[in-house]
Amino acid sequence: MGTVQIRNARKSYGSVEVLHGVSIDIEEGEFVALVGPSGCGKSTLLRMIAGLEEITSGHILIGDRIVNDVAPKDRDIAMVFQNYALYPHKNVRENMAFALRQRRMPRAEIAARVDKAAHILGLEQLLDRKPRALSGGQRQRVAMGRAIVRDPNVFLFDEPLSNLDAKLRVQMRSEIKELHQRLKTTTIYVTHDQIEAMTLADRVVVMNSGVIEQVGPPLELYDNPATLFVAAFIGSPPMNFFEGDLVHGTELVMADGTRLDLPLADPQGRRRVTVGVRAEHFDLADDGWPATVSVVEPTGSETLILARLAGDVVRILIRGRTSVQPGETIHLRPQRSSVHFFDAAPVPEVAQMEDVA
Amino acid sequence: MSITVNQPRRRRPVGHTLRILGGVTVSIIFLFPVYWMILTSFKQQVDIFTSPPTFWFEPTVAAYAEYMTRADIVPRLVNTVIVATLSALFSIIVGTMAGYALARIRIRGASAFGALILLSRGVPPIALAVPMFLVARNLGLTDKHITLILAYSTFLVPYVMWLMRSFFLSLPKELEESAMIDGCSRYGAFFKIILPISLPGLLSTLIFSMILAWEELLFALVLTNRNASTIPVAIAGIAGDTVNGANWAALTAVGTITVVPVVVFALLVQKWLIKGLADGATKG
Repeated sequence: MGTVQIRNARKSYGSVEVLHGVSIDIEEGEFVALVGPSGCGKSTLLRMIAGLEEITSGHILIGDRIVNDVAPKDRDIAMVFQNYALYPHKNVRENMAFALRQRRMPRAEIAARVDKAAHILGLEQLLDRKPRALSGGQRQRVAMGRAIVRDPNVFLFDEPLSNLDAKLRVQMRSEIKELHQRLKTTTIYVTHDQIEAMTLADRVVVMNSGVIEQVGPPLELYDNPATLFVAAFIGSPPMNFFEGDLVHGTELVMADGTRLDLPLADPQGRRRVTVGVRAEHFDLADDGWPATVSVVEPTGSETLILARLAGDVVRILIRGRTSVQPGETIHLRPQRSSVHFFDAAPVPEVAQMEDVA
Repeated sequence: MSITVNQPRRRRPVGHTLRILGGVTVSIIFLFPVYWMILTSFKQQVDIFTSPPTFWFEPTVAAYAEYMTRADIVPRLVNTVIVATLSALFSIIVGTMAGYALARIRIRGASAFGALILLSRGVPPIALAVPMFLVARNLGLTDKHITLILAYSTFLVPYVMWLMRSFFLSLPKELEESAMIDGCSRYGAFFKIILPISLPGLLSTLIFSMILAWEELLFALVLTNRNASTIPVAIAGIAGDTVNGANWAALTAVGTITVVPVVVFALLVQKWLIKGLADGATKG
């Protein structure tokens, strides 16, 4: 049974608590991505599921069994590490066979499983090579091969793609997704890259500072972010935010006195709010929020406009092409259904950090 | 083919030649005493004291013949082999596992413990020699192989432990974690994955440990008498012979006999001493 249940799991190092009670239920066959900025506790949580970190309090269940005190080797999991951790003194075949040999599986079956995994990953030609004779992408594939020969209850991935170059990363991303659709093994995937999480996962768990901000299918997080953090973290280009006081229900007065008309009032009736609008949810109109265009970035199918509004940068993404020029004043009208209200707060900086890895 | 025009001539820069010259010079300086020792061991007493020293003489193996047949040299050689091998092996086993524990296992006070062991190396051996003799005598352990093996382990274990600790620290911990997920216990991961990868480091540490034990004089002098005495003690005896004066031919002959096994051993394991066996474990 490949279900994983995390019940109020906490982790402390000495007196410092880094994971403040996390609960997630993961279904059989589900692909769940844990995503968040570095230091949010996502890797720690994954390592707790793997048994590489002790669970300070709370429970983790794999299948129906509480595994808090079960050794990693007895949890029937397979893990792909960020640095692959291939055994350097063993060739590719031995690397993949190692776990099976540890389980004293008959030789013939080991050979069959290794061949099958090698076939799936296109490693047939490399079976007799040592890891040092492989490229980064090939090593990554061997690391995955080592996991899939096991046919485990759960796959754990710890940022498996962050050491690859951008092009290979996109390719391997598709391969991982395809692999999951083929094997249907429960998968928990840690990444700091929200695009990776969005494209791969059935459900995304957004974590920040040791707590879960929101759990949900990728598009639900995108469409209905529960917190300012999730709103800022998910989506590229990032969501635009405007902080201010609501007067007359739908008028936002910003700190510098700029007044913006909103198409709807805050459903919760707060006075001080931070309003979020995604870049693609603006219409260019004859009247609306005035902004001065600073940069126009055409990509063919769509155009990204960077403009200044009340001193802040606003990103506007429009489908197709535009004749708008830098220096021009444009008028923005946010789409009615796509305005998000949050408690007034500055936008969390970690959420907006550009992906540099 | 006539495309030589585009082929740049391989020119070695001047710095390269200078470096080689420097290396050769330093090697000569360091190896000359060894050369002189071997040379002297084949000389007769008259040739040894010729001034200026001569490189051309009638070689003789008299010193070898005489000393190899003397009752104490061969047993002492055997003693040295026994003590050096066993103390190095014992220290490698204990020190490697201790080093691994210090590198990997989170225990309260582990680093303080490690520093304390290192600190024990700071005590000059001469200060320990007499207390050690008293302890050995009270335990009835003087002049036995085990005495020297234990005495040598007091400095070899910390040595091995610290060398191997830093070696283990340089390995990615994901290797063991991966092994532990693949079905190993902590011990299994250590023996099946970490030890094979550490073989080059382990072997060079073993060699250095054996050499340290092989050439140790002070403890051997203090703790042994006849049965377990080692070659360095014999050499010291020849050099310090106040009755007949130092027999240089004998001294250098025994010295050569002492050096040869070390050199042969080092050459045998040389191919293991290459770096980079751990390459390819990670992203690269």
